[in-house]
Amino acid sequence: MANPALIIDGLSVDFGGFKAVDGFSTVIDDGELRVVLGPNGAGKTTMMDLITGNTRSTGGTVTMYGKDITNHAEHEIARAGLGRKFQIPSVFRDLTVFENFEVAVTKQQGVFGNLRFGLRASEKEKLDQIIELTQTSDVIDKRAGDLSHGQMQWLELGMLIAQDSRVILLDEPTAGMTQGETYRTSQIIKALKGQHTIIVVEHDMAFVREIAEKITVMHLGKMLAEGRMDVIENDPKVQDAYLGSGGIH
Amino acid sequence: MRLSDSPYVDVFAYGMFIAAILLLPLVMDDPFWLNRIAKYLVFGMLGVAIALSWGYAGILNLGQGLFFGIGAYMVAMSLKLQSYTSLQQGSDKPVPDFMLWNAEPGAPTDLCCIVPGSWIWQPFQAQWFGMVMSVVVPVVISYILATAIFRLRVSGVYVAIITLALVLLARLLLIDAQPLTNGFNGLTDLGWLTVAGIEFDPYLTATYYIIAVSLSVVLVLARLLISTRAGLILQSTRDDPKRSRFLGFDVATYQVFFFTVSAAIAGFAGMLYVIAAEFASPSFMDLTFSISMVVWAAVGGRSSLLGACIGAILINTIEASASETELLQESWRAVIGLIFVLVVLYLPRGLAGIGQETVDWIGRKAGISGRSRSGRVTNPSAAE
Ligand SMILES: Nc1ncnc2c1ncn2[C@@H]1O[C@H](COP(=O)(O)OP(=O)(O)O)[C@@H](O)[C@H]1O
Ligand SMILES: [Mg+2]
Repeated sequence: MANPALIIDGLSVDFGGFKAVDGFSTVIDDGELRVVLGPNGAGKTTMMDLITGNTRSTGGTVTMYGKDITNHAEHEIARAGLGRKFQIPSVFRDLTVFENFEVAVTKQQGVFGNLRFGLRASEKEKLDQIIELTQTSDVIDKRAGDLSHGQMQWLELGMLIAQDSRVILLDEPTAGMTQGETYRTSQIIKALKGQHTIIVVEHDMAFVREIAEKITVMHLGKMLAEGRMDVIENDPKVQDAYLGSGGIH
Repeated sequence: MRLSDSPYVDVFAYGMFIAAILLLPLVMDDPFWLNRIAKYLVFGMLGVAIALSWGYAGILNLGQGLFFGIGAYMVAMSLKLQSYTSLQQGSDKPVPDFMLWNAEPGAPTDLCCIVPGSWIWQPFQAQWFGMVMSVVVPVVISYILATAIFRLRVSGVYVAIITLALVLLARLLLIDAQPLTNGFNGLTDLGWLTVAGIEFDPYLTATYYIIAVSLSVVLVLARLLISTRAGLILQSTRDDPKRSRFLGFDVATYQVFFFTVSAAIAGFAGMLYVIAAEFASPSFMDLTFSISMVVWAAVGGRSSLLGACIGAILINTIEASASETELLQESWRAVIGLIFVLVVLYLPRGLAGIGQETVDWIGRKAGISGRSRSGRVTNPSAAE
């Protein structure tokens, strides 16, 4: 595939005069794992909102595998092959863990194609693997709303895997996790590497060191620096941007 | 894993209910009461319609009476033309009596033009037309309405307000069109449903069976519908529409589909009600009636189709018995209001919730656990 996974070109949004994302550009290659860093309020979540159609951009374009998806409806962008994990875990709380997976693994999107019972063999096989990977088999029949915070994060990750998007956006997947949980999450994400193109926003530096290849640093809605971990850490611009928030830990 | 989650428990509960309503005529031979119960079964069907939209889609429709009313009027128009009185108006073709009272002097006694717009009645001379329209018109209207509402992503209380306003508007229009609809008085003096030469007197056991079987079929089909993948996706859109969209589902199409199914059930219920009650009236579009349906479903359990159905039947049966005591007759509305508040506060899953707790309690005592949807045997201590 010659096309890059994502080309973000001059992406901007104007919230009544305040530019939360301001002419942000980057190119993400097929199969890449990109970490996005930046102090709080840098515009990372907003950038993901713009890519996924959750917020309408006021400038710039987003192209995924050669297809323009700028400001398309959320479900169209999702169908084009983009999945997203939210900063605050977003799962179907009144459904069981298994039902959450079942919804996510559904390839057919319309109503009439889904007037059917049970699981296809291919779906079952996939869910078995995901349950294994996310270690959710003990809570599989539990209401998703009753899960612990960490389990909910894994459930949402598992749903993304079930959805099987080519490109996956993860917004702070380890937020609020213990060290042990964070480590397991990094293992799950590593398992996704190679099969998916992944963009992950993360604060936890131990986690970033564990998984990062190429890093993009955002500041005040703009791209501040881009490169490998060691380059980024020694970049004076980055050090300045982080001064207020205590530097990169 | 809780026993009540097992599909077999549901099969058993639905089976018991259907058996009970089908066997009822064997023990109840009072045609008056049987006819009454038939009407309550129709309300049970409305409970199913409400649970489907409110419980499963998260759409509180406070105007379900609109679809019930349309369903009722469509078949009532046909039955009115079939009535003996409609053939007594001095024409060889049927003309509703009230049209004659409303006609200009000298107007021809013919449906074509006795009053302005009366031609609309013409196709209703065929009974099947009225019956089919009882479902088709609610489906068309609800589809258009739902498409407008859900494409604009209107949700929550705004849907309730819009549907409520619409049913009131429809009621006004209906009453206002007096020469065409007999306004406030509604359509009375109806003929009986006639199929293959057999007349279904509302007090016949056969008429009860038409309704009981219809309810059973609707109940089972609706239950199957929500256990399809589409039904599961619908529930996901209720829990978190944003998540559903990001999984690639066009939430509005699911909402439109199930809203329309719910309206179709309500229209069908309206048709059955007319067959049992022999009238159609603008009171079907009263606000209090639409709100009553929601109360029945809440008390029975809005997240259970069967629960909401039983809730409707139970409340109406108690209401009928209560109205025989004068004191209770006065205070009945207050009692129902109180029950509603208590259920909302303390029993969000309604009577169905009590049923499920009981089944789970029995399951724990007897050490039986169900087989879940996942089909996995999980460690019971971890699963609970
Ligand atoms: N809908 C909105 N309207 C106005 N301001 C917003 C909106 N969404 C986000 N912002 C602002 O944009 C900035 C970037 O926020 P966000 O993208 O959440 O930052 P990050 O995820 O990098 O911490 C913040 O100052 C935030 O207050
Ligand atoms: Mg953020």
